[in-house]
Amino acid sequence: MKNNKNIISAILVFTLVATGIYSCSDEFLDETQNYNIDSETYFNSKDDYYMALIGVYDLLQASYVNVLLGEIASDNTLCGGDSATDVPGFQQIDDMSHTSVNSNLRDVWSWMFAGVNRANYFLEFQDKTEFEGRNAMVAEVRFLRAYYHFELVKWFGALPIKNYDAALQGAGTRFVPGDELSVSRSSVEEVYALIESDLMFAVSNLEYSSLQVGRVTKGAAEALLGKAYLYQDKFSDAATVFDNVINNGPYQLAISYASIFENQGENNVESVFEVQYTDGEGAGFDCLQCSEGNVAVGFMGIRAPSYKPVDENGEPFTGAISESIVSQLEGILTSNGFLEGRLFDGGYSFNVPTQEVADVFEEGDSRKDISILDIQDLSNSIAPIQFQDDEFGTVTGIENGAYFIDYSWVNGYEHTGYYNRKYLPRRGDLGEGDPNLTNPNNYRSIRFADVLLMAAEANNRGGIDDSKAQVYLNMVRTRAFGTNANNVTAAGTELTDAIYHERRVELVGEGHRFFDLVRTSQASSEIEGFQAGKHELFPIPIQEIQFSNGNWSQNPNY
Amino acid sequence: MKKIFYTLLVSLTFATTAMAQNISVSGTVKSSADGLPLIGVNIIVKNTSSGAVSDFDGNFTISNVQPNATLVFTYVGFETLELPAASVMNVDLEEDNESLDEIVLIGYGSKSRKDLTGSVSIVGSETIEKLKPVDVSQALQGTTTGVSVSTQSGSPGSGFRFLIRGVSSNTDNDPLLVVDGYIVSSFNSLNPDDIESLTVLKDAQAAIYGVEGANGVILVTTKKGKKNTAPQVSYNTYAGIQETTKKLSLLNASEYAALVNESYAANGQSLPYSNIAGLGAGTNWQDELFDQALMTNHNVSLSGGTDNVTYYLGATRLDQDGIIASDKSNYIRDNIKLNLGIDINDRLKSTINLNYFSNKRKTINESGLGSVLFNAISYSPLFALDQEDLAPIFGAEIINPFSQIRDTYNTYFGSSIEGNFQLDYKLTDDLTVTSRMGFKTYSDKGKTFSPIVDYGPNKVFNTSRSTVSQSKNQYDSYTWDTFATYKKSIADKHNLEATVGTTVIKNWGDGLFATGFDVPNNSWDFADIALTTGTSDAKENGSYTYDNRLLSYFGRLQYDFKGKYLLSAMIRRDGSSAFAKDNRIDYFKSVTAGWKISDENFLKDSEVIDFLKIRGSYGTLGNLVGNDLYRSALSGEATYVFDGALTNGVANGPIANANAKWETAEKLDIGLDAKFFGNKLEIVADYFLEDRVDLLIPGLPVSGILGTTAPGSGSPTVNAGTTRSEGLEFLINYSDNITDDLSYNVSYNVTKIEGTVIDVNAEVPLTGGSFGVGQPLPPSRMENGQPIGYFYGLQTDGIFQTQAEVDAYPSQAGLPGGVASPGDIRFVDVNGDGEINSDDRTFIGKPLADYYMGFNFSVNYKSFDLSVYTYAEVGKDMVRNYERDEPDVNRLDFYLDRWTGPGTSNTVPRATTGATNNKLFSDFYVEDASFVRIQNIQIGYSLPQETLEAIGMSKVRLYASVNNAFTFTNYKGFDPAATNGAALGGGIDYGFYPTVRQYILGLNISF
Repeated sequence: MKNNKNIISAILVFTLVATGIYSCSDEFLDETQNYNIDSETYFNSKDDYYMALIGVYDLLQASYVNVLLGEIASDNTLCGGDSATDVPGFQQIDDMSHTSVNSNLRDVWSWMFAGVNRANYFLEFQDKTEFEGRNAMVAEVRFLRAYYHFELVKWFGALPIKNYDAALQGAGTRFVPGDELSVSRSSVEEVYALIESDLMFAVSNLEYSSLQVGRVTKGAAEALLGKAYLYQDKFSDAATVFDNVINNGPYQLAISYASIFENQGENNVESVFEVQYTDGEGAGFDCLQCSEGNVAVGFMGIRAPSYKPVDENGEPFTGAISESIVSQLEGILTSNGFLEGRLFDGGYSFNVPTQEVADVFEEGDSRKDISILDIQDLSNSIAPIQFQDDEFGTVTGIENGAYFIDYSWVNGYEHTGYYNRKYLPRRGDLGEGDPNLTNPNNYRSIRFADVLLMAAEANNRGGIDDSKAQVYLNMVRTRAFGTNANNVTAAGTELTDAIYHERRVELVGEGHRFFDLVRTSQASSEIEGFQAGKHELFPIPIQEIQFSNGNWSQNPNY
Repeated sequence: MKKIFYTLLVSLTFATTAMAQNISVSGTVKSSADGLPLIGVNIIVKNTSSGAVSDFDGNFTISNVQPNATLVFTYVGFETLELPAASVMNVDLEEDNESLDEIVLIGYGSKSRKDLTGSVSIVGSETIEKLKPVDVSQALQGTTTGVSVSTQSGSPGSGFRFLIRGVSSNTDNDPLLVVDGYIVSSFNSLNPDDIESLTVLKDAQAAIYGVEGANGVILVTTKKGKKNTAPQVSYNTYAGIQETTKKLSLLNASEYAALVNESYAANGQSLPYSNIAGLGAGTNWQDELFDQALMTNHNVSLSGGTDNVTYYLGATRLDQDGIIASDKSNYIRDNIKLNLGIDINDRLKSTINLNYFSNKRKTINESGLGSVLFNAISYSPLFALDQEDLAPIFGAEIINPFSQIRDTYNTYFGSSIEGNFQLDYKLTDDLTVTSRMGFKTYSDKGKTFSPIVDYGPNKVFNTSRSTVSQSKNQYDSYTWDTFATYKKSIADKHNLEATVGTTVIKNWGDGLFATGFDVPNNSWDFADIALTTGTSDAKENGSYTYDNRLLSYFGRLQYDFKGKYLLSAMIRRDGSSAFAKDNRIDYFKSVTAGWKISDENFLKDSEVIDFLKIRGSYGTLGNLVGNDLYRSALSGEATYVFDGALTNGVANGPIANANAKWETAEKLDIGLDAKFFGNKLEIVADYFLEDRVDLLIPGLPVSGILGTTAPGSGSPTVNAGTTRSEGLEFLINYSDNITDDLSYNVSYNVTKIEGTVIDVNAEVPLTGGSFGVGQPLPPSRMENGQPIGYFYGLQTDGIFQTQAEVDAYPSQAGLPGGVASPGDIRFVDVNGDGEINSDDRTFIGKPLADYYMGFNFSVNYKSFDLSVYTYAEVGKDMVRNYERDEPDVNRLDFYLDRWTGPGTSNTVPRATTGATNNKLFSDFYVEDASFVRIQNIQIGYSLPQETLEAIGMSKVRLYASVNNAFTFTNYKGFDPAATNGAALGGGIDYGFYPTVRQYILGLNISF
């Protein structure tokens, strides 16, 4: 009996051991299911390509910092913010004291190269799977690669480009670790040649209309190509391509300048290329480039705006402001026609326009109030209004619950009294996540007005056709003044100056000013602290110089 | 429950009485060697459940014993003795030489402590009982050499981390944790009352655990019943009051207003506070926030055994409130433990260990920028308790801490069943086969509600839409070991033990999470996705799965000659699914050896030396980090807006590294174990040296051209470095009985560790951590020849007193804050190039201590016992990074000593709202964080034997204790012992939730 038990136990144990050893072949290690898609076996259907295409577009949203810094670096604005130490990288660029140690410049470098790399990932596999509409999709990707390269060449000059010759033919190769040691910087001319090649492909493979709002069109490619020519002073090439998009493209100036920068004005008839943002998905400060909203907008917002109820003497009273007052307030503002019934949400008061740029506007130019918000004017328009608060009734010290509204704000660092009104946070936006980082204001990257002014400049500076230049210029001015009485009739360099002036006032707050001054060699005379021969380019981030271990040299004089 | 059991016991005794004329047995049990009474000897009437345990004087009494009965005397370390019952029995027990020492687990087997050849530390249940740890991890702090235990928060239910012999890896330094043979990821599921012992394997002996052993191994044995012992019921309970161990010394209202005024004036701004005189002390936010909080613990257990069955059953509840907002921060833990051992027959034994665990937790935001404490120390003392920062004056991140608590809603619940089933089969007398299946299945769910709130303009914590986020996770694992042990003694000289076996480990699980928008009534009462109506266009739900496997074969050969010369060798082959096929298999080997000098003839009869052994070990072990690094997955984020709607695509995740493999440790240890003067004095000393090669460097900084900053992407993790840890451990322990009534024990241990980076193959030094807000240069570095994670910043040399001094000194214009003014910090021109810039940064401190020490002391006098446990870390620095760089925040009171004019201060810079370099990371922010902490003071009183007998108990002990009684340190922050555990970026104090001081009253009852 006992023996039997032992035998049964022994069999049991041996079975266990045997099963253990049997199951223990190394194949056991292969059977895991961790649900991920291998990036190197992708691109098997049109859908796969489309999904990857979205990834290439994604980095456009990170270009918010380029736009913000394009203004801050210029003579249009001061850095602002909370204090002299609020975002030191911004402050230094404003003061032209920036060095290669600057995390914000490093963002520009890294984020735009991230866009380049995603484009090249797509292009690496462009021939893997055949499908209808593939050329158009490849054209979009090449436009985006050109867009990212154009940003980078504006900021940093010569750039590392992998397999340059193949890239020129439309191929793409991602950077891999170690490339920073071997891939040298292609010259500015070579970078532009690649940009031109990519854009010419896009021009010939895209239509003026796109499948979805927000995607690249032929017009966008033509406009960016013209802009790239203009940046190289290739005036006749620029004039040709601009004339083409003006004459054959579907674009017109919007009737109302004011409407362009409101939510309803997004992707309108004047919009040639627009970076799309939404208030539907936010991010945190640890990954600003992850936000689907326009981060720059929150940074530019009015510092701590609030409406406070006050008594006759302007003394604050304690007690909450009721909802009914808020709606009354909005109603009154709407009926007064002030700000089309809209007020602005708060923000961090960066990028504040200077008195100088406010003064640059001519008398009668309707764009001034649309572009530059005078915070005191806003307050004055509200302050005298008296309210009756039904909900709260009688409040101590105030008879019949009547009180005044005091609109107040906090003066930030370098307060000028002005805000960049085009890109202020609009009240009522959703702002998922962090509301300050999730504003839906699209960035109007290329407006038809910009195209007209660039065309005017190309025709004038290239000595091609001053009268055509005047026509383009005056289209823009006529809208601005509501009359053609202010039309420019000058020619030659006088016309050039008029065009420069027009670019400044038409496009103020839109991130173009610094680069316009640099490419037209006006920067050192216009921007305080700008050193010719140095500040035309920004420094390559110190880390990149270290990574390249001598492969890349720093830009001059940094 | 216990009453019923007791009644049952009594009635059983009566039942026996009815049957025969029984006798009462009483007597004394002593050790035959020294004649001293033996306490706690189990005496049982054979084949019955009745019995007794000897008291402090070795006395015992058993009533109602049948005259022809046999009594069985069992005691650990002594030979079991069976004697016929008699009314008076004075018994001498013989020492059992086989088990004179503790039996120590060494992984897939055990060994007598005196035969150990590796470096092993043990903590027994007495220590755990004394320390009253909420988490069993705390029992290792200060009680063992080479082990340090830390936490980054004192909040209820927060976890602990171990370091065994310092930091070697910059990825993962967590030791392998094994409970009764199955692997766990933390000890939080264990109830300290259920623990029998903790064993720490520190050197190459742990090579039997191969790829998982490099950071050391901690083995936990849970309590089991003892064979042939009467059922014993224990009830242990304690209740405590908790309070904070520290409040920061901040400025009061008038001091604050004066400083703010001064800083505004210095920058030419108008003064915010016109009349400072009447401001007084203002609000002390810390006093308002910190509260006394309760904790209670109840534990009931039943244990015992018969000839072939042992059992232990325990149930415990711990309820701990937080010292901040106890209704929003608390922890409840329940455990039910069952250990069962059954000898099915002479050859087959089975063991079952089961542990049910559940925990419920609520938390507040507790560490760093955005935490409740951060807000409390930054908020103005001029503000009233309910005052929001409407101006705002503190910037975007600081809000009223009470409002923050009010708007914090979350709950977490997790439960698990874990344990193992084991079968041991003795094939022959020499050969035993063991197979065991350990498992853990843990599931949890969490919910967080974020209401619509407005803390004032611009605050980042404002929410305009309410959300409720819910998650459910499932974590499963099993560890299946099968091994055979062959033990043979040849000619009573050659002792041989061989073990071969295999281990299969699988960890897998999955999770789901989602967020609902627009919670009805903006209320926690309605916070469930089921009730939300709103949606977001973004992807707010998701899931994940994981599945990691390990397959191992191992063998170990142990040989000794007459127990004097000890030798062992082991090898393990590991394969892990975490790596690419070409890199997944490796072999780990080690040898250990020992020489028991005290067994040699020339020492055998020594009066002084009772025991002396030298031992050494060398081998390789692995650190299994770097899961799935070889896969290049499309896990990046690709979201853009087409047609006005969010559109999701795909993009590359972190850069893959096809060549990634695990880290390897090469460990050497030479040690000495000795006992003197009749085993009263014990000394253990070790020298160790470890090289950690193929160090996995996560997030290796790489060029921006690789696109690693794209959303969801990241830098590759690369095997690119070597570190070396070298050190000494020393433990001295002295125990003595001065009289029969008075005994004491004194113990001191110290560990010295020096960790250095030998080689990092990165193009730029690896950096980590963060300092301040918006400062781009990380404060921590890993660099050849320096300690891991050392602090790298500017070196200060006092304060500029006059403009002339500034002018005469190298310019600081190259720093972000521009040229210096009088009152600013003077930085050292380290590279001597005549200007101060970021190139002048240098070593300014290190986060890890040079010395870890424990000093422990206990006395027993008659029925009283007293013990004191002390822990110290010496030679470490911490970075003061909980001060927000905003003009209007409150500050520590050392700013009272700030520079206000020539000669006023040479240590603390001026106050100004202007841009200066004073906020840059420099040694001004690095403090010596060495500390000595009295961890536990306890005084207990046990009822004397006579009283116990009168009331039918075997033990009644009352005690009072204080945990974290005092901390002696110069460190200004909340807790010098806290750390986030990161190798790179550790030691930076972002504002830790302080450790709590606990005043405890407790009771232990056994019968």
